Amino acid sequence: MAEKLDVQQGTLALMILKTLDVLGPLHGYGVARRIEETSKNRLTLNYGTLYPALLKLEQEGSIKAEWRQSENNRRAKFYSLTPAGRKQLARETREWNQTADLIAAFLAPRRETP
Amino acid sequence: MKYLRAALARIVGFFTGDRADADLREELQAHLEMATAENIRRGMHPDEARRQAMLAAGGLTAAAESVRDQRGLPWLEGMTADVRYALRTLRRSRVFTAVVVITLALGIGANTAMFTLLRGTLLRPLPNRDGQRLVYLRQSAPGAKEHNVLFSVPELADYRAGSKTLSAIAEFSSSLPFTLVGDDGHPVRVKVGIVSGNYFDVMGLEPVVGRLTNPGDDGPAAAPISVLSYEYWNDHFGGDPHIVGHTIRLNDKVSTIVGVVQPAPHYPEPTDVFVNTVTSPHHLSATMVTGRTHRMSEVFARLAPNSTVDQARVELTRIAAGMFQDHPESYEKAKQFGITVLPLRDALNERASFMFWLLMGAAAFVLLIACANVSNLTLMRGVGREREMHVRAALGAGTARLRRLLLVENLALALIGGAIGVLVAYAGLKLLVAFAAQLSPRAHEIRVDGVVLAVGLATSVLVAIVLSFVPHIGGERTLGTSLAPTGGGRRTTLGRGRQRVQQSLVVAQVAACVVLLSGAGLLVRTLTKLASVETGVRADHVLTLDMPLEGDLLREVMKQPQNFAKYEAVRERVAALPGVQIASLGAAAPLRASIMEMDVKGEGQALAPNQMTPHGAVRSVDPRYFSASAIPLLKGRAFDANDRRGSPLVVILNQAFAKKLFGDVDPIGRRVAMTGDVLRFTPFTGDWRTVVGLVGDTRDHGLDNDPTPTMYEPFAQELIFGATLIARTTSDPSAVQPMIVKAIHDLYPRQLIEHIATVEQIRDETVAPRRLNAMFIASFGALAFVIAMVGIAGVLAFSVSSRTAEIGIRMSLGADSGRVRRMVLSEGGVLLVAGLAVGLSGALFATRLLSGLLFGITAHDPVTLGAVALILTAVGIGACWLPAARAARVDPAVALRAE
Repeated sequence: MAEKLDVQQGTLALMILKTLDVLGPLHGYGVARRIEETSKNRLTLNYGTLYPALLKLEQEGSIKAEWRQSENNRRAKFYSLTPAGRKQLARETREWNQTADLIAAFLAPRRETP
Repeated sequence: MKYLRAALARIVGFFTGDRADADLREELQAHLEMATAENIRRGMHPDEARRQAMLAAGGLTAAAESVRDQRGLPWLEGMTADVRYALRTLRRSRVFTAVVVITLALGIGANTAMFTLLRGTLLRPLPNRDGQRLVYLRQSAPGAKEHNVLFSVPELADYRAGSKTLSAIAEFSSSLPFTLVGDDGHPVRVKVGIVSGNYFDVMGLEPVVGRLTNPGDDGPAAAPISVLSYEYWNDHFGGDPHIVGHTIRLNDKVSTIVGVVQPAPHYPEPTDVFVNTVTSPHHLSATMVTGRTHRMSEVFARLAPNSTVDQARVELTRIAAGMFQDHPESYEKAKQFGITVLPLRDALNERASFMFWLLMGAAAFVLLIACANVSNLTLMRGVGREREMHVRAALGAGTARLRRLLLVENLALALIGGAIGVLVAYAGLKLLVAFAAQLSPRAHEIRVDGVVLAVGLATSVLVAIVLSFVPHIGGERTLGTSLAPTGGGRRTTLGRGRQRVQQSLVVAQVAACVVLLSGAGLLVRTLTKLASVETGVRADHVLTLDMPLEGDLLREVMKQPQNFAKYEAVRERVAALPGVQIASLGAAAPLRASIMEMDVKGEGQALAPNQMTPHGAVRSVDPRYFSASAIPLLKGRAFDANDRRGSPLVVILNQAFAKKLFGDVDPIGRRVAMTGDVLRFTPFTGDWRTVVGLVGDTRDHGLDNDPTPTMYEPFAQELIFGATLIARTTSDPSAVQPMIVKAIHDLYPRQLIEHIATVEQIRDETVAPRRLNAMFIASFGALAFVIAMVGIAGVLAFSVSSRTAEIGIRMSLGADSGRVRRMVLSEGGVLLVAGLAVGLSGALFATRLLSGLLFGITAHDPVTLGAVALILTAVGIGACWLPAARAARVDPAVALRAE
């Protein structure tokens, strides 16, 4: 089994936004499952991490929440992207890609022989 | 924007927490069930599925807690709990709370009071429009010890013509006495300011009712008008809004009230009524308009746009230099004429500024001592609570969280102390204003306003923050070691570092206390020195009162024979009263400065080049004046009944003037004459007068000044400007006073009577401001003293109680109680001596600030410093004695068993 990782600060919000973008309105459990699956179970999310992050995004107006019936007929809180959230996702994706490129370029060279 | 929205959501969340909690529980529950269902689908047993779901997701409660933190304002929620807790703890340790609150209340109260004073007088902007552009001009002649000689009309014309840095120059003149005749026909004194038409415009003041003066009110053709000051309008006209158009009689001239001016500081003199120049015939007379040395105007000006005070100073000094050159006869070189430009605000606070800042400094010292003391108490209490802190840390409270708990406790203490302090300051406001009024014309602006309260609050919060960082939290000792049996069980003493801090705080308290007490001591010593100054008169049992002339003074003065007859009749009536030993007349009461000062020359006495013409006070007195005030006649004769109008002119000199005029030569029989340009503007002659007597010196310009050179003239011989009755009584003057007043009014019912005072009171007036200064500094010193002594005793008591075991061991090993007592005493003694040493060296430096306020002693007066050291040592040892005695009573058996 692959090494378990903690969610890095600041990346969780991006993951949540992307998940909601891809899958549409979704409840907290669905978001958690999706993130865990996408990470091939290298990430685990507990409530204490997930729900404060969802609340924070909601407070910032990036996502909105409403109570709906779930697929197995339970009442659940469904989160969906707001236009502001969509913009934030686009911006953060771009920024993240740039950072990743930069770090990759930085780490690529092998030791140069003097 | 994003953050603002989030913050808003949090604030909403703080209030809607309960409902959101239910929502959250449901959401988490749904999550758990979905996870369980998923596990079951994967083939797990339902119980196991639920367990795994729980494990994967983490604890429900912990999750709910972290969501709650994100949702609301966790620090605020924690705070309310902390406040409740803090109040509970403080209620439990009542003595500690009381001592701390009282100490802080005194410290913060003193500071709030002083800040209120400072803000009302020095810091607030002037109520005048663009008050910061207003300047006050002052012409002085330091060579003649003339601080302010005012300005004449020709001088002002020169400045007006030459100045570009001043956009407008206004005049104010208040030196002439005015009487106002009310509806009942009885005259009353009013303080009148004669102003140029542009005065209010320059001063930037607005009318409350009606209008103010304008340039159309200048000149001899204008109608006499009056503008009332706000205070006079309220006090004497009940704030009548329809006052405009009413007329008042000022010195027999009918003047129409045109308006009331807004409240504003009165400078240089308190003023009831402002009038235009036509109201005072003197101000339009030829001598006044053309006489360059006829200086009667105070001058206010407004800086031109883009000009600074410095530029104005340079420019006016240049203009003045030109005037001195063009008119050398009006500016005697030796008198060193010069002009200064002062921002009006500085002029207003000239006398107050230094004293108020000094008191503010003293108050800050008191607060410093109070803080040091409270820090010590907190420190001691911190030891007892170290375990509590460790337990809290073990239960998951971070350092920041613990700091916050302490902060809340200290905030509670400081705010309660601060609130009481502000109340104390508020209660003392009247006293404060009365004190400030002696030094600043802005005293009536002193009030406790929002800013003052804010500063009081800020001080309290600051004090709380400082106190919260004194006790140690966590750090080198963890809960484990503190609870471990090998850790020594209960820790009762401070670590060495903390002990050092505590001792330094005591030393600082004692030192600050020494500085304050030294300052207070010097001021008190100054008072005793002043009390022993010889005034030159015998002050007991002498009552004086002024009986001014009424109406236009310069016209009334010319009626010498009538005036003399009237005053003489009064004198005879009073002299016949029982209880009156001698009744005498003079132009001014003994020890009150004469309004008349003149240049006088001695016959045949040539002046050395650059030597100033002798200058002195001129007083007219009747034959009994010297015996009534007990001024000794040293040579020659006193005046007698033959010295009257028409007889040969004679004078009597006091020693100081005789020495100035004739050196050591016997002045009797020599002749003197008044001289100088200014004689032209007075009704006096420069005729030669023969010196017939020599009398002792008197100090008419305050006890701290040199005796005033004085020339006495016979009351009956000279013009009379009003009279002062001097009555030596056989019993208490205040008992005779009503009879004297009645006797005067029986003769002349309309006669004004002013300034009723015994000579003792007059003498006292010159010392009163000093006494108030000394009282304020001394009460700060006393406050500091008490706090510091409580501090040193408290620290020792703590040290003793935490070392009971050690003392027990020492005693069981053979130390007797005397030895133990000495041990504790020397511990305190070291602190005391260190504090004294630091304090005395600080005092040597700090008291130099006071040197301007001292009289008869230097700022390093060894007697004062020695006395302070002695008192502090004595009381300090006393304070140490209590804990030392307790240490000596320790029973070794009991002490050891308690361990």
